[in-house]
Amino acid sequence: MASASFLPRAPTFASPSLPLKSRLTPRAFQLRARHAPPMHSRTLISSAAPPSTEPKPDSLHRPQGARQKPLSAEQKRFLDSALRVNHAGELAATLIYTAQSPPINKAYPHLRPLMKHMYDQEAGHFQYFNGILAKHRIRPTAMYPAWYAAASLLGWSTGVMGREAAMACTEAVETEIGEHYNGQVRELLAWFKDIEDRGEEIGEELRTMVIEIRKIRDEELEHLDHAVENDAKEANPYELLTGVIRWGCRGAIAISEKV
Amino acid sequence: MSVPALALRNLLRAPPPLRPLLLTPHASYHSHEHPDPDPYPPTESAILAAALPHVPNHGFTPTSLRLGATDAGYLDITTNLFPSPAFALVTYHLTTQRLALASRVQFPAEEPAANPRDRLRTLILTRLRGNLEHPNILPRWPEALALMSLAENIPASLRELAFLSDEMLFLAGDTSVDSSWYSKRASLAAVYAAAEVFQSSGSGEREVEGFVERRLEERGRVGGFVSGVGEWVGGEARGVLDLARSLGWRV
Repeated sequence: MASASFLPRAPTFASPSLPLKSRLTPRAFQLRARHAPPMHSRTLISSAAPPSTEPKPDSLHRPQGARQKPLSAEQKRFLDSALRVNHAGELAATLIYTAQSPPINKAYPHLRPLMKHMYDQEAGHFQYFNGILAKHRIRPTAMYPAWYAAASLLGWSTGVMGREAAMACTEAVETEIGEHYNGQVRELLAWFKDIEDRGEEIGEELRTMVIEIRKIRDEELEHLDHAVENDAKEANPYELLTGVIRWGCRGAIAISEKV
Repeated sequence: MSVPALALRNLLRAPPPLRPLLLTPHASYHSHEHPDPDPYPPTESAILAAALPHVPNHGFTPTSLRLGATDAGYLDITTNLFPSPAFALVTYHLTTQRLALASRVQFPAEEPAANPRDRLRTLILTRLRGNLEHPNILPRWPEALALMSLAENIPASLRELAFLSDEMLFLAGDTSVDSSWYSKRASLAAVYAAAEVFQSSGSGEREVEGFVERRLEERGRVGGFVSGVGEWVGGEARGVLDLARSLGWRV
């Protein structure tokens, strides 16, 4: 009587973790990989989310001991680009206010204290980033002379166009810068949460840097509020002006990250 | 694609002579809480360190590297770790001498740097003396210069020169981060390169010192002239604008 037990069994294997036959041809795989969204092509992120939704690690408010692990190469690259862009941004901000002030103060003397206050804060930020770049041996952007000329021209032209245009320029620049700082602060706080979850110390160097960047971000958003209070939205070609300036800022940020 | 996969893809797409440039970390953020990682992995470092004393006898050649590998206790075949053995010796010498500068030269901490040109002279001469100390590779340095001038090695050589120039200006206490950051480093790199060629052409120490002094003085004069021109142009532009405003133009 034939019984199934006499027949040789087909060998049984554990099911492989990869499909034995790929559904894609090599060429199709290559094309897909080439068009895959580049996740890390843009080093810096900007975030329009409000500051209140940021992560809040405890270690931010405790004085830190020495950090155990050195920063990874990826983190160092991020800090390198981020601080270079911040430095370029503050340079542009100080130049915009310097160029805007003479025509605005002449036509609207009551705005003199406000312009001076905003300029002083930007100058303070600029000095801070000068110190940070020198201390951590980060190179400044090679486009420094170009940004110098562009920011001076932008400040002068919006100043000559009038108070509303100048305020609209400030509003556009501060919106872009505010989002940019938001993104950076979020990224750094995410690192802190990570390190805290592992039970390690973040180190004084990073902690003080994040606290300072947050303070700078808050002051930039305050400038944004001042600009809006002073009729930034009344500027005549409002959409065009703010659109051009915001796209210009984004381009400058993207270039300064690399160059 | 993940970051490591992208990095590998970029590495494989680059022409082979440029791959070491993508692997070595480029200048970036220096943390003061942790020293920078060693530029060479332990095996490579051991082999190269053992190979350098053979350079005066065998030159910057794969022979020196092979002898170094055997001295360090590895097989001859281990030199396959280095895609270009002779140039690896050259870059090892350059890197170690650059990193040793910080420990060899300490300036008294006074702010601001009293005389940056004196400090730069000290740094350049210390670095040049590094070519003479044990092992004395100076007689073989023309070989190294020839290797560095090969087309495939030029990017790496220029990068080492840029790093050296940056290191010297950092140790001299320079903290300016405007557009002069680039021009200062470029001019110092040119001065150092000229001084090294002068030294390797067989001049004595006194002559090298005089050469360096003259080049640094020229550098100072040219730099002063260029920044003076910049200041003059800026001043003229401001003057024109102020004149227009004083005439009542709404400028």
